[in-house]
Amino acid sequence: MLNIDKKLDKDQLQMALEGRLDTLTAPELEKALMESLDGVKDLSLDCSKLEYISSAGLRVLLSAQKTMNKQGTMKLTHVSSEIMEIFEVTGFSDILTIV
Amino acid sequence: MKRPSIRRASESIALKSLSGIVVLLVVFSAIVCVIGYRGFTRELMAQYAEGAFLTADTAALYVDPDKLDEYEASEGDSEEYRKTWLSLDQLCNSSGATFIYVIRPDRTDYAHITFLFSTVSRQAPYTRYGFGFVRETTNDEYREKYRALYEGNARRELVIRDDGNIETDRHITAMIPLKDENQETQAILCVQRQMSGMAQARGEYIQKVVLVLALLSLVVIFGQGFYLNRMLLVPVKTITDEASRFATENVKRNEKLRETITNRDEIGILAGAIDQMEEQIHNYVTDLTRATAEKERINTEMTMASRIQAHMLPNNFPAFPEHTEFDIYASMDPARGVGGDFYDFFLVDDDHLCLVIADVSGKGIPAALFMMVSKVVLSENALLGKSPAEVLRNTNNAICSNNKEEMFVTVWLGILELSTGILTASNAGHEYPILQREDGTFKIVKDDHGLVVGAMEDVTYKDYELRLAPGSRIFLYTDGVTEASDAEENMFGQDRLLTALNEMPHEDPEHLIGHVKGSIESFVNGAEQFDDVTMLCLEYRGPADMSKE
Repeated sequence: MLNIDKKLDKDQLQMALEGRLDTLTAPELEKALMESLDGVKDLSLDCSKLEYISSAGLRVLLSAQKTMNKQGTMKLTHVSSEIMEIFEVTGFSDILTIV
Repeated sequence: MKRPSIRRASESIALKSLSGIVVLLVVFSAIVCVIGYRGFTRELMAQYAEGAFLTADTAALYVDPDKLDEYEASEGDSEEYRKTWLSLDQLCNSSGATFIYVIRPDRTDYAHITFLFSTVSRQAPYTRYGFGFVRETTNDEYREKYRALYEGNARRELVIRDDGNIETDRHITAMIPLKDENQETQAILCVQRQMSGMAQARGEYIQKVVLVLALLSLVVIFGQGFYLNRMLLVPVKTITDEASRFATENVKRNEKLRETITNRDEIGILAGAIDQMEEQIHNYVTDLTRATAEKERINTEMTMASRIQAHMLPNNFPAFPEHTEFDIYASMDPARGVGGDFYDFFLVDDDHLCLVIADVSGKGIPAALFMMVSKVVLSENALLGKSPAEVLRNTNNAICSNNKEEMFVTVWLGILELSTGILTASNAGHEYPILQREDGTFKIVKDDHGLVVGAMEDVTYKDYELRLAPGSRIFLYTDGVTEASDAEENMFGQDRLLTALNEMPHEDPEHLIGHVKGSIESFVNGAEQFDDVTMLCLEYRGPADMSKE
């Protein structure tokens, strides 16, 4: 289960992710991002309620990061230590902006 | 398959329908007979009565009411009386009456009658009453009618005795009053007629009616039967035969039922519905057959793909029996037919063994395809003799150049120098390796991680070194191990993995992996797993010359 809460303010998009970002739910986030990334310059993903992220979820984040590299910035906020460990193990902490 | 008895079923419809008609006809005939019988009786009776009254009116012309007292005085012994009697007797024999008589009832209660004239037809088996004969009035009906003729100004009265319970034959008696000059009733003239012919006539009438009705019924039954057969039974039989045939053969008919059965009624609608049903079932079966064949084909291909993938990974153990420096074992269990995990090991040269464990993002066929490419590119680069970091860098660039789907793979790659036990490794986003220390305990090596392979071009990786003491082991795995979950979604985790390894620190690689598998299985307790489970374990036994001792 994954709940995605979107807030768009001009060219600033805030998304709060709640639950598990895995093989089953990753396509939901991918769809949500594809629909709303047009014209967004500042993407912020709130991960405070994100419990788990699998490789399928990492792929979506990678995709979003690549898109945002072309049109603005992307950052992840409130990343828990469990999620942070996944980012570190996979080397994603090198390419994602985690604040 | 047992066919239902269609013949009997249709016969039963015909039988039910026809027996209904027969019952209706019988009831109808009975009603017609009763009505006819009654009407016939009434009509016949009226004719008898009319005849009797005609005779009575004629007889009245012969009898002079004003002379009756005279006759009574002479007790019938006069010329005039005898003449009158002869006329009446002649009338009786010529008119068909059985009995003509003139009576005087006693006027107090009409209970007795006195005969003045009495003539009997010669055919009748009766004897006549003599003059002045007195007898009781037959019953109350006669009495009331006598009274009416005397006191009630009745012009004529009729008694019908047709109840069959009488001592004589069935008969009617027509009565008219004989009136004097003062219009006073002096006597009653009665004409009795037998109705013996009537029962016979009635019998014949009933016989004729029954015969005609029976013939009519036969015509109706045959007609209806023929009609039923043509309009109902034959089409219904055609339809049931066809439905039954279709149920057994499941093959469409060239000629549609609607072409043979042209009825515009419910039968026609039924035939049309059966045609349509056959068409739909046929199409459905065809689609289903095609879909099943397709599924079958995909399954076969999946099995083939699964086998090809399994054979891509080195799986002959012991893998290098001639190399006594080490023992190695590995296993890959895909969650589905094909997986995205893989392991690999091969000798770069006589002294260098390359170990690879990797996990492709995603699942199923896409992951399997990506895995194949990754494996080939990795081993090709490794065989060039470069360092692990360089191998990863080259592989990453090669894969990124053609990765529209943005898939990636986590790779841990190490090269072990067999003569020294020095393991040079590099990690591209893969799980931490587990190393057995000299004291025999397994511990996680928090190595330096680079980005997963395939995510971004021109990523650099770092090499690091580990030293394997003789008799120590290195254990590599994918996240399918640590993230194996039980029904409550608790993960197996690193701690349980380390516990399992440390339970059997001196077991050879094959049995060690078997033990970890067993621990995972008892932990998940039958819960379905969604990730591939891959493990690789190497035991370093020391340099060749040392291990030989």
